[in-house]
Amino acid sequence: MLFPEAMTELELIVPSKDLLAVTKVLGNHGVFHQIDSTYLGLENLGPSTWQEKAASYSALERRIQVIMQNLNLEEKYSGTSNFDSIADLEPLQAAVDRIEAEVKQTSDQLAAEKKTLEQLESQLHQLEPLADTNVDVGALRKSHYLHSVLGIIPADSVNRLQTSLARVPHVFFTLREDPKKPVVWVLGPRSNSDIIDRAVKSAYLNPLTLPEEFDGTPAQIKESISKAIDASKKKISELNTTLAKLADTYKNELNNLLWDVHVSRMIADAIARFGQLRHTYVVVGWVPSAELDALTQRLKQASREILIEATPVEPTGHRSNVPVELRNPGFLGPFELLVNTYARPRYEEIDPTALIAVTFPLLYGAMFGDVGHGLVLAAIGWFLSKRSSLGGLLVACGLSGTLFGFIYGSVFGFEEVLPHLIQPSENILQILSMAIGAGIVLLNVAILLNLYNAFRAKDWGRFFFDSNGLAGWILYLSFLVILGNVASKIFTGESFLPGILLTIGRIGIVVTIAQILFFIGMCLAVIFSHPLQHWMHDGHFVVEGGWGIFAVQSAAEVLEKIISMLSNTLSYVRVGAFAIVHAGFTGAVFIIAKLVSGGEEAGFGYWTAVVLGNLFVIGLEGFIVTIQTMRLHYYEFFSKFFQGGGLPYEPLALASAQKK
Amino acid sequence: MAGGVADYAAISARVRAKYADLLTPQQILQLSEAPDFQSLFNSLKSTAYEPYLDGLKDKDINPRRVVIQIKKKLADSYYSVIQMSPVQTRPLVKQLYRYFEIGNLKAILRAIVTVSTWNTETGLWDRVRDVLFPLGSNSVLPAQAMVESGSVAAAVDLLHGTPYEEALSFAMKRYSAEQNLFPIEVALDLSYWRRLWSEAQKLTGSDREHSVRIVGSLLDMNNLMWAIRYRVYHKLSEEEVINYTLPFGYRVKDADIRAIAAGADIASVITRIYPGIPDLNALLENPQSGLPKLEVLLKQRIMKECLAAFLGSPFHIGIPLAFLVMSDFEVQDLIVLIEAKSSELPEDEYRPFLLKANLVAEP
Repeated sequence: MLFPEAMTELELIVPSKDLLAVTKVLGNHGVFHQIDSTYLGLENLGPSTWQEKAASYSALERRIQVIMQNLNLEEKYSGTSNFDSIADLEPLQAAVDRIEAEVKQTSDQLAAEKKTLEQLESQLHQLEPLADTNVDVGALRKSHYLHSVLGIIPADSVNRLQTSLARVPHVFFTLREDPKKPVVWVLGPRSNSDIIDRAVKSAYLNPLTLPEEFDGTPAQIKESISKAIDASKKKISELNTTLAKLADTYKNELNNLLWDVHVSRMIADAIARFGQLRHTYVVVGWVPSAELDALTQRLKQASREILIEATPVEPTGHRSNVPVELRNPGFLGPFELLVNTYARPRYEEIDPTALIAVTFPLLYGAMFGDVGHGLVLAAIGWFLSKRSSLGGLLVACGLSGTLFGFIYGSVFGFEEVLPHLIQPSENILQILSMAIGAGIVLLNVAILLNLYNAFRAKDWGRFFFDSNGLAGWILYLSFLVILGNVASKIFTGESFLPGILLTIGRIGIVVTIAQILFFIGMCLAVIFSHPLQHWMHDGHFVVEGGWGIFAVQSAAEVLEKIISMLSNTLSYVRVGAFAIVHAGFTGAVFIIAKLVSGGEEAGFGYWTAVVLGNLFVIGLEGFIVTIQTMRLHYYEFFSKFFQGGGLPYEPLALASAQKK
Repeated sequence: MAGGVADYAAISARVRAKYADLLTPQQILQLSEAPDFQSLFNSLKSTAYEPYLDGLKDKDINPRRVVIQIKKKLADSYYSVIQMSPVQTRPLVKQLYRYFEIGNLKAILRAIVTVSTWNTETGLWDRVRDVLFPLGSNSVLPAQAMVESGSVAAAVDLLHGTPYEEALSFAMKRYSAEQNLFPIEVALDLSYWRRLWSEAQKLTGSDREHSVRIVGSLLDMNNLMWAIRYRVYHKLSEEEVINYTLPFGYRVKDADIRAIAAGADIASVITRIYPGIPDLNALLENPQSGLPKLEVLLKQRIMKECLAAFLGSPFHIGIPLAFLVMSDFEVQDLIVLIEAKSSELPEDEYRPFLLKANLVAEP
C-alpha cells in the first residue's frame, strides 16, 4: 500500500502454433503490460501479416462504429464468442458491407440534406447584415469594374488582411461583428482582382457565394431561402424515420459484429507487437510479481513448449521504464485520485496515498470544524459516492469536520449546545500556534520521506545535498530554533508560534549550535547544493557560469531559501485562520438572522435566515477549504518529496472491453 | 514583491537545480569529440541524461530510441515547471509546451498524406510514434486514432474540442481545395504564436517584461525566418507573406516584415534589427545553406536573452521560461550530434549547427 506494486519483467518465447492460445491467456488474465518487442524479431522474415490483420480489423471496427453512429446506436462491447481462433475477416466484411450499403444510402442523403440546410441557414445568416440594403446582389455580382469578395474570416486575420491590402485601392466592410468568425466584404478594382484574391485566400477567408438561383434585393432572397429551409427540414425528418427503422433491424447484429471485430483487433494488435522469429515469437512485458505464478501456470497450460524468463525488478535506482500500479484498498480511491492528479508516483517512490488519506481529512476537518456542517457534507458525499469517487473524499472530510466540531463544541454555529475542548473564536493565538505546529510536523515528515525516496533511488546527491535532503533537514531544524530565538525576544507573552519553539529558542547553547548548523546547512543545501550534487553524480565539482555569477546566484538563493522556509512554515497558519473564519462566518449568520427577525431570536424569518446562512457557509467554506487543503498538500507537502512521472500500468485485457 | 517571492521561491530553487543539470558548452564540445555514436551514447550516460538512458537495453541503443529518451527529459522538465509555476503564469508555460504538440500534429498529418508512398512492412502508427515528441498523457491529440483514420479530413475531425479546432476549421477548406498541407501548417503556427503572445501579454510586472522578452525573441526568429523563406523559397507575393506572418514581436516589428514582404534588401533589414551579425550577405547569397546558419545565429541570440533572465531578481517567470528554452536548445544540439555521429559526418559539416558549442566560440 505504501509502495507501488512490485513488478517482474517477463520474457516469453512462444512457438508459432501456440500463438493464439498464449495471447488469449495474456488478454484474459488482464495483468500483462505489454512492451513493443517487434525489434527483437528477425527483419528478414518479410512484412508481418499480423500488422495487416490488425489494420484491417481496426478499419472494419471504425466502419461499424460509423454505421452505429449514423444509426444513433450506442456502442456496446459484449458478446458470446469464445475466441479459440481469431474471427475470419471475410464473412465479417461481407456482413458489414451489406449493412453499410443499406444504411449509407440513407445516411448519405441525410448528410447531404443537412449540409444543404446548413448552407441555406448560413446564407440566411449572411444576409442578415445586408437585410436593410436595397442593392440588387445579382447586379453587383455581374459588375464589370468592381471585384468583390464576401466571406467569413478568422477574427485574428482581419487586421492582417487589411494590412496586406494597404497598397491596393479597396474598401473593407465588416458586415457581421463576431468575436471568432466575422463576416467581411472586400471590394476593389477588377484590375487588382488577382491581388485581392491572393490576399483573402492567404488570410483564410472562406468565401460565401450567394446562391446564383436567388436574385433581387437581400429581403427578397431571404424570403426564398426561408421557404427552401422549411422543405429541407421536412425531408430530414423523413430520412431520420427511415434510419430509426434500420437501427431497430440491425441493432443486435451490429453489436455482435462490433464485439467480434474488436476482440480480433485487440488480439491481432497484441501479436503485431510480438517479435517474430522463424518458428517462434518473442513477447516482452511486465506483470505484477504477485500475479506471476498464476499467469505462468496458465501460460504453461496453454503451451507446453513455452519458455518463460521472469526477472523481478528491485524498487531501487531510477526505474522510469517500469510501469506503476498502485494497489490501494477501494476506500482510498478518492485519495489515489488526488495523488494521480498531482503526478503518478515513480516505481521507486513512496505512494503517498495512505498518508494523505490521514492528513487531508485532518487538515480539512480542522478548518471546517462543525458537527452539523460536517454531517451535511458527509451526507452529500455519501449521496455523490455512487456517482463519483470524489464523494468518498467528501464523506471523509465531513466526518473529520464533525470530529473537530465536537472538539470546538459547534453545531450549525451554535456554540453553547455542546461542551468543547477549545473554541477557535475564543482561543485565537492557541489555534494558530497549533496549526503552525502541525505544519512543522508535516514539513519534517515530508523531508524524511524525501530522504527515504532518495535512499531507495540511490540518489546520494539528492539524499545529502538537496534542499530537502539531509543537509536541508539540518538547515530547516536549525532555522526553526533561530526562529524560536528571534520570536522569544519579540513576544514576551503568548504568541501565535508554538510554545516549544519559543522555549527551545531561549536555550543559549542550543541556539549557538543551531546557528553553526544553519551556516553549514546553508552552504551544503543551498549555496553548494548543485555543484555537490554534480560531484556526487559524476565526480565533477562544476560551478556554472564562473564564480562571479555563482556568488550573485547564491546570494539570491540564500534569500529565497530563508523566505521559502519561513513562508512554508507559516503557510499552515491558514488551517487555524480558517477555523476562526468558520466560527466568524456562522456568528455573522446569527447576527443577520436577528436583523431579519427584528431583533428576536425566534420566528420564521429568524430560522429561515439561520438555515440559508448555514447552507451558504457550507457551500462557500466547503469550497474554499477544499482549495486550501489541496494547496497545502500539493505545494507545501508533495513538492518536498514527491517527484512523480511514473509510467502508467496498462495491462492487455480483452475483458476490459466489456467494462467499457 | 512579497507575492512574487512566495510564488517563485520553490520553482526558482527547483529550476536552478535543474539548470545546473544542463550541459555546459564545454561538455557539448567534449561530446562532439566522441569518435562514434556508441561512444557518444556512453558519454551521455555520465550526464544528467543518465536516468533516461539507463533503462535502454543494448539492443535498443540506436539513434531513434536515444533521441526519444533524450526528449523525455525535456518533457519532464516542462511537466515539473508547469506543475510548480504560479497559477497566473501557467497558461503561458502550457502554451509554450504546445509547440511540441503542434510538431506532433504536423508529423501525424504529414504521415497520413505520405502513407501511400511508404513501405508497409511496419504499421503506420509504429512508424509515426517514433518521430513524435513524448508528450504522454499531456497531449490532447488522439494520435493513434488520427493516424489510423486514414485521411487528413477524418484525422482533423477527431480534434473536435481541442485548441486546434478553430484554426483548422478555416485551414481545412483550403486543404480540401488544394490538397496541400501548407495552409494547415501555417494556420497552426500562426494560431500557436498568437496564443502564446496573448498569454505573455496577459501577465503583469516583471513576469510580463521577461516573458515578452523570451517569448518575443522566439517569435522574432520564427517570424523573420518565415518571411524570408516565404519570399525566397516559396516566391510568395507581398500580400501572402504579410498574411502568413505576425505583426508583433520583441525586436522584429511589423514594418520589418512588411519591408521584406515588399522586396526590400533582406540583409539590410536584418542588420537594422540585429546589428553585428557577421557575413550576412554571404549567408543570404546561398539561402539553401545560409538560412539554416542564420537560424542558428538567431537562436544563439535567444540563448543570450535567456541567460540574461537568470541575472537580477529571481522572482519572475523569466527564469523557468529561459530554462525551458535552453533545455530545448540543448536537446536540439544533442540531436545534431546523434545524427552526425550515427551518419559519420565530418566535424565541419555538423559543428556550425551546434548552438551551445558555438556560443563559446563567439566573441
